[in-house]
Amino acid sequence: MATATTLRAAFKPSPYLIGSAVLFVLAFVYAIYLEVTLGHVAFNTTNYGVFWGFPIVAYDYFLLTSTGLALVASLPLAVGIRSWDPVAKRCVWLAIAALVGGVAILFLELPHPLRALWATPINLQTASPLFWKILCVGAYTIVLALLAYAFGAGRGPAEVPRILAVVLGLLALAITLIAGSVYGMLVFRPFWFGSELPVVFLIESFMGGIAFFIFFTYAVHGFVADNLSENTRRLLAGPLGIAAATAVFLHLLFVLTRTVTGLWSYGEGMEVWRYTIAQPLYWLALIGGGLVPLVVFALPSLRAQPWLQMIGAFLVALGLLASRYEFMINGQLVPPFKGSWAPPLLEYAPSQLEWVLLFVGIFLANTIYAALESWSSTRER
Amino acid sequence: MTKWGMVIDLEKCTGCQACTTACAMENSRLPGESWQDVLFYHEGTYPNVKLSWLPRPCMQCENPSCVAVCPTKATYKTEDGVVLVDWDKCIGCKYCMIACPYGVRFYMDEKPVVQPDLREVFPGDGDRIWNPPYKMPDHLEDRKKGIGIQPKGVVSKCTFCYHKISKAPKGVADLDEDDPQTREYVPACVRVCPPKARYFGDLDNPNSRVNQLIADKRGVRLKEETGNKPQVYYLAGGGAPVIPGERSRGRG
Ligand code: SF4
Ligand code: SF4
Ligand code: SF4
Repeated sequence: MATATTLRAAFKPSPYLIGSAVLFVLAFVYAIYLEVTLGHVAFNTTNYGVFWGFPIVAYDYFLLTSTGLALVASLPLAVGIRSWDPVAKRCVWLAIAALVGGVAILFLELPHPLRALWATPINLQTASPLFWKILCVGAYTIVLALLAYAFGAGRGPAEVPRILAVVLGLLALAITLIAGSVYGMLVFRPFWFGSELPVVFLIESFMGGIAFFIFFTYAVHGFVADNLSENTRRLLAGPLGIAAATAVFLHLLFVLTRTVTGLWSYGEGMEVWRYTIAQPLYWLALIGGGLVPLVVFALPSLRAQPWLQMIGAFLVALGLLASRYEFMINGQLVPPFKGSWAPPLLEYAPSQLEWVLLFVGIFLANTIYAALESWSSTRER
Repeated sequence: MTKWGMVIDLEKCTGCQACTTACAMENSRLPGESWQDVLFYHEGTYPNVKLSWLPRPCMQCENPSCVAVCPTKATYKTEDGVVLVDWDKCIGCKYCMIACPYGVRFYMDEKPVVQPDLREVFPGDGDRIWNPPYKMPDHLEDRKKGIGIQPKGVVSKCTFCYHKISKAPKGVADLDEDDPQTREYVPACVRVCPPKARYFGDLDNPNSRVNQLIADKRGVRLKEETGNKPQVYYLAGGGAPVIPGERSRGRG
C-alpha cells in the first residue's frame, strides 16, 4: 500500500502526456459528435465500390505498425541479445500504444463492434482470414499486456520469460501475414491479388516498426541526441539503421515491381495503375517516404547524423501511411459489376470524420505511449 | 436435395426494369440500392454504338466467397442452396462486399443515391433504417434470414425471395408464375417479367425447366474464373460474351 502511494506520488504526468490526452479527448468528442449528428453518411464510403475507407487504412496502418514493433522487440527478447534491451522495452510500449490507437479507430468505424467480440469467436468461421485475424489480435493483446505487466513489475528485458517473447513474435508474424492474405486472396481484384502480399505486408510492418522506434526514441529524449545512452546511439547508427535501410529497400522493390507489372498488364481492373502513377501521392510516398530515407539509412555518414535519422524515420512512417492508402483505396476504385451506372473509376477522398478518426488514433496512441513511458520510468526510479 | 437456381434469357430480356421495381417493392429497397438491377453497357461512339444490358440479382453462388470471408458466419448458405444474411450476427465489417465479385451486396447506411433521402422522408422505427409506404407484412420479416426492412449497420442482399420459395411444395421442379399451383412461391422478379425472360427452379432436378434451358440453350455463368459457381445462368444465344469488359469498351 505504501509502495502504491509512493508510486502515485512519484508519477508526474509529462507535458507530452497531458498534451496528447487533451488532443485525444478533443478529437474523440468531435468524432462522436459527427457520428451522432450525421450518422454513417459522415463516412465517404459508397455501395458502388469503395466499401473500406480511410479509417480501415488507418486501422491496418496502426495494427501493422504494432506487429512490426512487436517483431523488433521479440527477436532480442527471445534470443537474449542484451545490447538490444533498451529497444525491446520501448518497442513493447509502442506496440501497445499503436494497437490501442488502431483498435479505437476500428471500433469507431464498425457499426457493431461489441457484437464482433462475441460473434466472431463463437461462430468459428475458420475459412475467413478475418476470423483468424481477430482471434490472433485478441491473443496478441493478452501477451502484450502480460509483457507490460512483467516490465511494470520491475523485471528487465533479461528477466522476462522467453516464452512470452516467442509467442509475441509468432502472433505478430501471424497477424501480419493474415492481414496480407485478407487482400491477397481476392482473385477477382487483380490490383490486390497475389501470394506475395503477405510477405510485402511483413516487410512493410517491420519497416514501420523500426521507423517508429527510431523516431520515438529521439522524441522521448527531447529530440536531443546527447540525451541518448551510448549503447542506444550505437544501435541506431548501426544495426537498426542498417535494418531500416534493408526494409525500405525491399519495400521500394515491391512497390516498383508491382507498378511496372501492373502497368504492363492489360487485365480488367489493372487500369487503376495508370491512375495510381498519375497521383502526386504516389510519387511523394515513393520519393519522400522511400528513396530519401533509403539514402539516409544506407549511407553510414548520414546514418550517424541524429537529425537525419529522425527525419528519415518520420518520412518512412508518413510514406507508409500514404502507401497503405493507395494500396487499399485504389484497389477498390474499379467498380465491381455496376455497368454504366458507375464511372469507370470511382472517386474517393476521406471525409472530415474519417480524418478526425485518424487523429483520434494518433493522439490516443501517443497518450498511451506517454503514460507507459512515465509509468515505467516511475517504477524504475 | 433442392438447389434453387435462376435462368435469365438475355435474348428475351428487354431491359424494362420490371424485375428491379418488383424486387424493390417486395423487399423494401431504397431507390438506387437494388438487390436486382439491370446493368446497361454501351460500346463504341456515335453513330456506331452498341447498347447491351444485363439483369443482375445475387448469383446465389454454389461456392460463395461472401460466405467464406464472413468472420461471424452472419452470411451463410441454406440447405436448399440460397445465400442469406443473419442481421443479428452481422457486424457491418463489409468484408463480404469486398469479396463478392458481382457487386450485389448493400450497406444501406451510406449517402443517399437519389434525393430526397427517403430515409428521412419515411424514418424507420426501432433499428429499421426506414419505414417505406410499400413493405411486406411484418410477419414475413425474418432478421435471421435478412428478409424485410434492413436494420442499421448491417449488409443485405437478394434472398431469392426466400420468404416465398421456402414455402413451395417439397420436391417441386420449377416455380412458374403460369402454374397456379406454384404462382405464389415464385420470386417477385421472375413473376413480373413481361417477356418471361426469367425462370426459377431446382438445379438438382434433371427434369426441371431451368436445367433443360441451360442444356438446350447453352447457359453460361458469369465470371467462371472466380470459382464462385453462380446458381444464376444466362442464355446469351451461345458463344457471345455476356457483358463487355471495361477496358474493351475503351473506358478503362
Ligand atoms: S453473388 Fe456475391 S453475394 Fe451473391 S452469393 Fe455470390 S458472392 Fe455471395
Ligand atoms: S458485413 Fe456482416 S455479413 Fe458481411 S462479412 Fe461482415 S459480418 Fe459478415
Ligand atoms: S429473387 Fe427476390 S430478392 Fe432476389 S432479385 Fe428477385 S425479387 Fe429480388
